[in-house]
Amino acid sequence: MPDSAALAYPVRLPSQRSRIERRLLLVSSIIALALAAAGPLLLDTYSVSILIRSFLYGAIAVTVDILWGFTGILSFGQAAFFGIGAYALGLTVTQYDFAPPVVTAALIGGPLVAAAAAGLAAWLGFGPKVSPLYISVITLVLSVIFVQVIYSGGDFTGSSSGLSNFDTFDISIDGWFRIAGAFLVAVTAAGWIFVRSDFGRLLVAIRENEQRCRYCGIGTVRVKALLLIGSAVITALAGFAYAGYNDVIAPDLGTQLVIWVALGGRGTLIGPAVAAVLIDFISAWLSGSLPFIWQLIIGLVFIVVIVLLPQGLGPAVADLFRRGRTRSVAARLAPLPDADVAGSGAVPAIQVASVSRNYGSLHVLQDITFTAGAGELVSLVGPNGAGKTTLIRCLSDGQERSAGRVAIEGNPIGRLPPEACVRFGLGRKFQTPNVFDALTVAESLRIARSRRERLSVICTADEVRLPAAAMRVVQATGLSSQLGTTVKHLSHGAKQALELAMVLAMEPRVLLLDEPTAGLTKSERSLIGEVLVQLVRDHGLCILLIEHDLEFVREISSRIIVLHQGSIVMDGTVEEVTNSELVRTIYTGEPHAVAA
Amino acid sequence: MSEALTVDTLTSGYGEAMVLRDVTLRVMAGEVLAVLGKNGMGKTTLLKTIMGFLPAYRGQITIFSKPTIGEPPHHLAGRAVAYSPQEQAIFQELTVEENLKLGLGRRTRFAPELKRVAAFFPFLAERRRQLAGTLSGGEQKMLIMARALIARPKLMLVDEITEGLQPSIILRLADVLRREKSANGTAILLIEQNISFALSVADRYAVLSRGEVVDAGDARQPGADASIAEHLSV
Repeated sequence: MPDSAALAYPVRLPSQRSRIERRLLLVSSIIALALAAAGPLLLDTYSVSILIRSFLYGAIAVTVDILWGFTGILSFGQAAFFGIGAYALGLTVTQYDFAPPVVTAALIGGPLVAAAAAGLAAWLGFGPKVSPLYISVITLVLSVIFVQVIYSGGDFTGSSSGLSNFDTFDISIDGWFRIAGAFLVAVTAAGWIFVRSDFGRLLVAIRENEQRCRYCGIGTVRVKALLLIGSAVITALAGFAYAGYNDVIAPDLGTQLVIWVALGGRGTLIGPAVAAVLIDFISAWLSGSLPFIWQLIIGLVFIVVIVLLPQGLGPAVADLFRRGRTRSVAARLAPLPDADVAGSGAVPAIQVASVSRNYGSLHVLQDITFTAGAGELVSLVGPNGAGKTTLIRCLSDGQERSAGRVAIEGNPIGRLPPEACVRFGLGRKFQTPNVFDALTVAESLRIARSRRERLSVICTADEVRLPAAAMRVVQATGLSSQLGTTVKHLSHGAKQALELAMVLAMEPRVLLLDEPTAGLTKSERSLIGEVLVQLVRDHGLCILLIEHDLEFVREISSRIIVLHQGSIVMDGTVEEVTNSELVRTIYTGEPHAVAA
Repeated sequence: MSEALTVDTLTSGYGEAMVLRDVTLRVMAGEVLAVLGKNGMGKTTLLKTIMGFLPAYRGQITIFSKPTIGEPPHHLAGRAVAYSPQEQAIFQELTVEENLKLGLGRRTRFAPELKRVAAFFPFLAERRRQLAGTLSGGEQKMLIMARALIARPKLMLVDEITEGLQPSIILRLADVLRREKSANGTAILLIEQNISFALSVADRYAVLSRGEVVDAGDARQPGADASIAEHLSV
């Protein structure tokens, strides 16, 4: 039972941890707000005026960290987003009078334009077949274009000297200090809650293994685009506030934000915020007394930190305060009532018509045609290199095949991406374990369930609800006693079992399994065999399975397809295939004579 | 016969998680020792510690009569030790031929050695220019094996090589390893879950459970398979 397994290990529930953390967050936020309120009374005017900008940069650093440290999106677009927000105010009030409707239009319009620019960058930079570098290049280009547009704007934009002396809010410098401080605290606290939520773990999952996320049915491009747009909006608001306070704007916020985030410690949120505030503040103080040397010092510090503390200063400081072992945290498992997931049965679960796949002149698959229905467990056997995995790939990603048609549950997959195929009821387990190394077992299962149960952006759930089949795999392979273990530390076989459990947790109607039991012991294999047979028999699933253990195949299959050199050479009952001369020749074989 | 590898009361693991406890093993030259065990019992950790990828907490490792704890992996590779890991073991963006050349010392001529290993796995010669990442999973396993064999190692550490291989290739692989052992006197430490393959190649076996050796014996003694199967099914 999951409960007894949970008791045997010192595992805390996520809600217990978040309750303590939330209290800590509330207390620190109140202290920070009190400091922001009292700051102007304690500091000299110069420091106050510098810190306003530093606070705004700190808030932007938080969004950069969510993008880069958590999700793995390195964006250089913040300079443009900040500028868009600042110029939105500057341009509108120089063109029109400073009046409430004009300012409101700028306050809404700036972030909207920034969001549109971010959306455009996301559309260009998060395509299906591009490397993570694309978005970095595109956002960098965006910032360069923005500066060029401002430069070429003549009197309208103030060109390189910027805009100054426009009418602005009648707010004292102390007031701006408090506004900027509150903005920083609000963005940091909201960011903290967001990254510690279940959805926050999805960000890490996307960074770790975007492919697996997509095969869990998650539209990762959409998630990443929304994050970039969210960051753009917050950055534009900061730019708006900066223009409102400073009354002078120039296109100058460079790429140093990324360096500050790295120095503060990616993925720590507080680290980058503190680093941005401190470095910007100290820079302003020292750039007067040490004009060019200061930049050099920052550069040297950056190199030293990256070499000695690649994680940044934040984690290093946190380590100083960490004592003893931290207890692992994991949600407990809860069984789901058996749902009827079977398809209608009116259409074949898998329909494949003259599918072929070429890599250049190499024909890996040629004219593959077959159908498989609900309640069938079809095994795909064949020599190594016959094209078995390629066939599975063509069934689960519309971009893969060179020719032919594939339909899942009657839905033609066309050129649809994997996440869309998954929504037709498909589940795919890969040949080598395809999991999230940085997440725990419980978190991985939670992500796999996300299409059925939405991930909260505020809370962490205490329960991961699993259908019976996934539950049996988790319990029988001992994963239920390792729910708080980081997947990286699991053995190869345990990773295989975890991936299978994740796929089963999605409650698919069509299962594509590429060597699901490789690396597992005989007893674990027979258990998984039983689970699969049960899914097919009792729940009417359709399973297409690649296996090399013919004994295993014989026990569980209802039909066997033999693939050889990219073509189907046999499609028949278990007896027909396993007794055939052909299979003996090309597959099981006698010991070959080996030339010396 | 001389000792190729001695592991003496070895304790190791990942950070605070101890995985191996007082493991003692010995492999002689020209001998195959099969180490079997369920998942997560420390088999892969054993190989990683021997190769120096993981630090040993306690104990001794001796390879060809020299203590090796603290030596980096590439020194061992230079001393005729070949390691075939279970995961991520080939260079996906290099061709088959380039992967094989990396297994070979700089001074050795490639063509005759390729011919030798291609006799075991003919597809290697036919597809030398293909990118290794485009090989199928099973073919990649064969490439890993060929890359280990091509340098004529004196000690081979092999981690679950039969996973994902078709039955006839497994039979051929058993044959290749037996030949390598008797013809070149190679010592082989074989990590396996496939009992019948392991026993068809091994001279002796050991079973790891929760990081400790719980059973060991002569691989040819009757009942060895039953004894191992019992440990693996618990």
